[in-house]
Amino acid sequence: MTRLREALGDIAADAPMVNLADLAIAGHRRRRMRTALAMTSVVALAVAGATSAALVVPWHRLAGGATPQNAVMVPELPGGKVGALSHAYRTECAVDRTTREVDCDSAEWRVVTAGGRTYRVPQALAFTAKHDHVPLALSRDGRKLAYYSDEAAAYMVRDLMTGREATSPIKVRQEEIQAGAILVLSDDGRYLAFDPLVGKKRPTTLIDLRTGEAKRLNSRYEPISIKGGVIELVRYVKTDLWRMPVEGGGKPVRFKGAWIGFSEPHPDGRTVVAIDHADHRKGARTTFGVLDAQTGRIVRKVRLTGVPANTTIDEMSVWRSSKHVTVATSTGSDRRLYEVNVTTGEAKLLTAFGTKVRDLALPGAASGK
Amino acid sequence: MNDHDGFREFVLVRQQALMRTAYLLTGDAHLAEDLLQSVLVKVLGQWGKLSKGGDPVAYTRKALVNQYISWRRRPRVELPSASVPEHGVSSDDRTLDRIVLREALARLAPKQRAVIVLRFWEDLTEAQAADVLGCSLGNVKSQTHHALARLRTIAPELAHLLSEHEIEKVAR
Repeated sequence: MTRLREALGDIAADAPMVNLADLAIAGHRRRRMRTALAMTSVVALAVAGATSAALVVPWHRLAGGATPQNAVMVPELPGGKVGALSHAYRTECAVDRTTREVDCDSAEWRVVTAGGRTYRVPQALAFTAKHDHVPLALSRDGRKLAYYSDEAAAYMVRDLMTGREATSPIKVRQEEIQAGAILVLSDDGRYLAFDPLVGKKRPTTLIDLRTGEAKRLNSRYEPISIKGGVIELVRYVKTDLWRMPVEGGGKPVRFKGAWIGFSEPHPDGRTVVAIDHADHRKGARTTFGVLDAQTGRIVRKVRLTGVPANTTIDEMSVWRSSKHVTVATSTGSDRRLYEVNVTTGEAKLLTAFGTKVRDLALPGAASGK
Repeated sequence: MNDHDGFREFVLVRQQALMRTAYLLTGDAHLAEDLLQSVLVKVLGQWGKLSKGGDPVAYTRKALVNQYISWRRRPRVELPSASVPEHGVSSDDRTLDRIVLREALARLAPKQRAVIVLRFWEDLTEAQAADVLGCSLGNVKSQTHHALARLRTIAPELAHLLSEHEIEKVAR
């Protein structure tokens, strides 16, 4: 045995003990059921609506007679006025290691209101039949929610102040949602940008929900935010940032180096913050850069202060004031949201999400980026 | 016999070894569990064929590596690696090697990391690694060369693990 293998073995010894057979079987059943449901829905749309309730809530069938307790405790998102949301998150399937029961009700999207109420959103698909994650996005003010409906084979936008729902005029088959799909809802909920696949093989589609108009964007770019009629697009290979009016136009600006995790543009229209990938790879995971989106200049680098040791910046998000941006972090599996002063790096905790949150969706931010 | 009994038995016997490989690939316990779980769902979808003369271990390993590389294609922030959770604080050389190697692996490109795990943890030959990765033998050789060179650059303190003498033991 080589010493390298010994060292790899020492790392591998930290791998958690698991029992994944039941989880995999449950996942396989869910996948088969979704495929069947997708085929059934074509017929179902043409006949009585009575079947729709069963179509949008596949989770209940999977749970059989043993609906997990947490699903009972968390109510479904009601129709009508709910109020603005603070965030949404996806939960994972889990196994009760004592009873060996599979809990697939937890593998779903949940939304949390600004007032702290949590609701399940079973009509929002969380995984495709091929087990790719399906994003869900919130408008900047948290008043609108965009999600993919398997039943409608389209993205839906729900106004949480009125309960009204709009269906995207573009049909999206579930199979089109693939690895690394991104969804962005504009600040006013009018525009929806959907990138179905990481990389440049498939372009982002920008949809105007008011007019029904849709346009394909340059496939080299991925959407970050849509605010004030401008969509923020990033090309990662060379790190080009393109603040493109939704009608088209504008041109990209190039930053030196590789940058990821971009924020929305600052209210001044030119400043953005992002993470230097080189810093991140070197282990400087609480450092971010302030960038000039007009000239491509790296203005300065700032380090977070007031956060726990071993914290990593996951993404930069919306601006809360001229000096403060929201920053999502992880410390181990503990996810947190801070308001950060971009001059001093001082971080003020806004929300501690805990350790059970996966695929966090924040108001105004691209989901899945 | 239940349709899934054969699959259950396969998972029961193999899951811990597969989880170690998934953990070496991702460096994160949660990601490793997600990765292996999603791969096992796919394996179960093919179980009918695999149980009739297929090679479930090879299929699962291949799916695991390719799913991992697919997940890593987007330039995104990784979840932080678990920080030495199970072992007590120690200053002995093996502990230091483990900590330094864990950090160094996190800085490799996904395919480079995969080739290190396949060649030096799974003990696959270059030809077997090429089959898993779906690339040429030459590509495996060059990926291995570049991965080792990068590890030596990132972590010169691991020279004793990465010396030509040590690596040749595997090549033989």
